[in-house]
Amino acid sequence: MIDKSQKPLIEIKNLVKKFGNFTALNGVSLDVYPGEVHALLGDNGAGKSTLIKVLSGVHPATSGNILVGGKEVNFLTPRQATDSGIGTVYQDLALNALTSVTRNFFLGREIKKGPGPFGIMQMKEMNRITIEEMAKIGINISNPEQPVGTMSGGQRQTLAIARAIYFGAKILILDEPTSALGQKQQMEVLKTIKDVQKLGHIAIILITHNEIHARLIADRYTFLSLGEVIGSGLAEELGGDDIKRLMAGGAEIGDLRDELGA
Amino acid sequence: MKATETSPQRQESDRQGDKKWYSAFFARPEIGPLGVMILLCGMLGYFSIPEGEFSLNPFAGEGFNALGIRNNFRVIAQLGIVALGAGMLIIAGEFDLSVGSMIGFAGGCMAMILKWGFAFVIPYISFQGGFHFEGLKLFEITDPSPLTALLITLCFTLSFGWFQGWLIVKSGIASFIVTLGGLFFLRGVTEVSYREFNRAPDQTAGSTTVTELPDIKNIINIPGHGEIERDTAKNLPNEQLLEILSTVPANTITKLTEQLTYINEKVAANKTILASKKMIQTLEKSLEGAKKSGNDSMVEILTEKINAGVEVPAVAAKVVTDIDIAKAYIDTIVTARPVANFFGGDILEPVFEWLYFSADWNVNMYGNIFAKGMYSCLMVWFIIALVCYFVLSRTQAGNWIYSTGGNLNAAKANGVPTNKVKISLFMFTAFCATMFAACQVFEVNTADTAKGNLKELEAIAAAVIGGVVLTGGFGTILGIILGTIIFGIAKEAFFYIPGIDGSFYRVFLGAVLVAAALTNENIRKRIIGGV
Ligand SMILES: Nc1ncnc2c1ncn2[C@@H]1O[C@H](COP(=O)(O)OP(=O)(O)OP(=O)(O)O)[C@@H](O)[C@H]1O
Ligand SMILES: [Mg+2]
Repeated sequence: MIDKSQKPLIEIKNLVKKFGNFTALNGVSLDVYPGEVHALLGDNGAGKSTLIKVLSGVHPATSGNILVGGKEVNFLTPRQATDSGIGTVYQDLALNALTSVTRNFFLGREIKKGPGPFGIMQMKEMNRITIEEMAKIGINISNPEQPVGTMSGGQRQTLAIARAIYFGAKILILDEPTSALGQKQQMEVLKTIKDVQKLGHIAIILITHNEIHARLIADRYTFLSLGEVIGSGLAEELGGDDIKRLMAGGAEIGDLRDELGA
Repeated sequence: MKATETSPQRQESDRQGDKKWYSAFFARPEIGPLGVMILLCGMLGYFSIPEGEFSLNPFAGEGFNALGIRNNFRVIAQLGIVALGAGMLIIAGEFDLSVGSMIGFAGGCMAMILKWGFAFVIPYISFQGGFHFEGLKLFEITDPSPLTALLITLCFTLSFGWFQGWLIVKSGIASFIVTLGGLFFLRGVTEVSYREFNRAPDQTAGSTTVTELPDIKNIINIPGHGEIERDTAKNLPNEQLLEILSTVPANTITKLTEQLTYINEKVAANKTILASKKMIQTLEKSLEGAKKSGNDSMVEILTEKINAGVEVPAVAAKVVTDIDIAKAYIDTIVTARPVANFFGGDILEPVFEWLYFSADWNVNMYGNIFAKGMYSCLMVWFIIALVCYFVLSRTQAGNWIYSTGGNLNAAKANGVPTNKVKISLFMFTAFCATMFAACQVFEVNTADTAKGNLKELEAIAAAVIGGVVLTGGFGTILGIILGTIIFGIAKEAFFYIPGIDGSFYRVFLGAVLVAAALTNENIRKRIIGGV
C-alpha cells in the first residue's frame, strides 16, 4: 500500500522539548510519508500533545530538527506552520459554534472583494466551496448557513479537517479526533480520515488512545513513553499484543493482568 | 429489515424539512424585540390620545404627533448611537463602561475648544522667581472651526479608547475593571478641566459648564453683512431687512408670500375655533352654576344656546408684510457651517413642510408648523447603523468580530487578529460617544459635566434587549436598533397610561431586560447544542 521509495513529507530528528527543567520530549525522531496514516500512541502525559504543539508552531523546540519536504524549518508562530503546510486539528477543533459552517470554514481566510478587513465576503462562492470540500471527504451538508453548533460532533470534525486540507495542509495532525464522539460518529470520522488518506498526497499524524481505531486505519506506528520513542513500525509488522503493550508505555500487559487479578 | 432500505440514495439534504415562507421570519432572533417594540409604540400612540377623544389613528395623540415624533426619536437616536458601539463591542466579547463619561469628556472638550481655542502646551518647572510651573506653547489654534474642534476631540477620545483596549488585551484584566477605571478617570478629568478653564482671575473655582457658545449651526452668510447668526439677522433694523429682501429673486418672494399667507390664514382659522371653544366652555360653566342653583329657566336658555352652537366672528388673517417675507427668507438661507449643522441641525425639513402645507397634519393648536424637522442626530444614528450593519454582516471584519466573541481561541488559531479587533472596537465605542457628544453640543450650544451620565448602562441594556448575548459572539445590528427603540420609548409610553406612576417604566424595563437576557441565553444554548 505504501510506496517505500517515497520520501517522507516530514522528518523529525532528535527533537527535545524542555519546560524549565522538565523534559517533555527527550530526543524524539519520526518520519511521516504522504498518503500514510501515522498513529502516535502513548500513555497520558507521554508527550504526544507536546510533540504536535512543537510541530504546529505553538511551542518552539529546545533542540533537534524538523524537516518539511526535505527543508529545515523553525516555526515561531502557528501561522508559519500553517503556511508551510502543517494543518492541525486541535482537540477543541477551533470552531465558533455560533456562526455558520461557511463562516467557520473560511474563518480568518475569507474570500472577499474590497479593501482590507472591510472587503465584502463572497458568500455564494464560499458556500459553494464549503459544500464541495466537505463532499470530497464524504460528508454532504444540506445547509452551509446552519450554525456549527447544530452539527454533529463527527460533522464538526470533518469540517475542521476539510478546512485544513482546503487551505493547503499537506501534513494533517489530528489530536484525539474520536475521543469526544459517539460510536457512529467515531466511525464517520475514521471514514473521513480514510478518505483523506486515499487522496494520496497528504500525510496524517493521528493521536489516539483507542487501539481499535488505530488498527483500523494506521499504516505505521510510533509509541511514546515519558517523552521518548519506545517503539515504532509498520502495521503489518506489529502484533496486537505488541501494540497493547507499547501503548501502555512498555509495561507487560500480562503483569498488569496479574496485578488487577491480585 | 426491508423497510429501512426504501431509498438507497437518501442524502443529508433530504433530512431538511420543507420551509414555510414565514418560518424564516419567525426564526429570526429579532422577533421578540420586534413584538415588544410594536406593543410599546401602540401603547404610546393610543394612551397619548387625549381623554374623551376617540381615534383609531395612533398618530392622533401627543406621543406620535409631529412634535412627539421629533422629540422621541431624538432620545432614541442619541441612545442608539452609543448602543451600536456598545453592542458591537459586546458581540466581540468585551464591555465598555466608560461610554457615559466619554460623552461628558468629549462634549466638554469640544465646547471648550470652540470657546477658548486649542493650544499644545508642554509644562515644565521653573525656578526663576520661585518654584512654579511654566508652559511652553508649541502651537495654538484660535477660533477653531467646528470640524477642527471635532477632530481634536476625536484625537483625545480615540487614543483613550485605544489605550483602554490595548491595556485589556495586553494585560488580560477584565474589561469591566479597566473601563470602570475609565469611567471615574474621564469624569474626573472633565470636571477638573471645566473648573480649571472657567477659573476666574481671582482664583475662585469655575463652574462646570460651558455656555454662551454662538449658535454655530445657524451662522449664515448674507451679502453686505458677512457671517451672522440667523436670529441676529432676523432682528436687524427694518430698513436693512428690506435691503436684504431687495436681493431676493422674485419667484422666491412669490413662493414665500404664498406660504406666509397660508400660515396666517391657518392661524386665523385656528384662532376662530379656539375662540368658539372658549365661548362654549364659558357657557357650560354657567350652565353648571345654573343647575346647581336650580334656576330652571336659565338652564333651558343656556342648553338651547349650547346646542345651537356659538357664532364667533372669524378672526381676520394677518397681512403678510415685506418684513415677514425678509425674515422668512433669512430662515431659508443655508448654513455657512455645514459640519455643525450636520450634527446639531434639523433634517427632513421639506417632508415636514409638505406635511404642514399639503398634508395638513404637522399643525399645532395655534395653526403654526408643529415640528420643523427631525433632529440631525437621527441621521447620524442611521448612518452609523448602516455602516455597522454592513460591516458586521457582510465583511471579513464582521466575521472576525463574531468569532472573537464566539470562541476567542478558535479565532486566534485561525489567524484572526483578535487583539486588533478588540482594540478597534474599543476605539469605535469612543468614536460613538464622541458622535453623541457632537450632536448634543452643536444642538444646544452648551456643555456640562453631567452629560452622558448612566448612558453606558443604558447602551448595554438596549443591546441586550435587542438580543445581544453578554458573553459575546451573538447579536445583530437590527436587534440593537429595536432594543434602543424599546428602551427609548418605554418611558414615554408609560407616562401616558392613565392612573399609573410614570416610574413604572423602569419596572417594565428591568423585567424586559432580564427576560431578554434569558431568551438570548436560551437561543444561544439551542444553537451551541450538545455535542
Ligand atoms: N506548558 C507546559 N509547561 C510545563 N509542562 C508541560 C506543559 N505542557 C505539557 N507539559 C507536561 O509535559 C508532559 C507531556 O504532556 P502532553 O500534553 O504532551 O501529554 P499527552 O501525551 O498529550 O497526554 P494525553 O494523552 O493525556 O493527552 C506532561 O507531563 C505535562 O505535564
Ligand atoms: Mg494530549
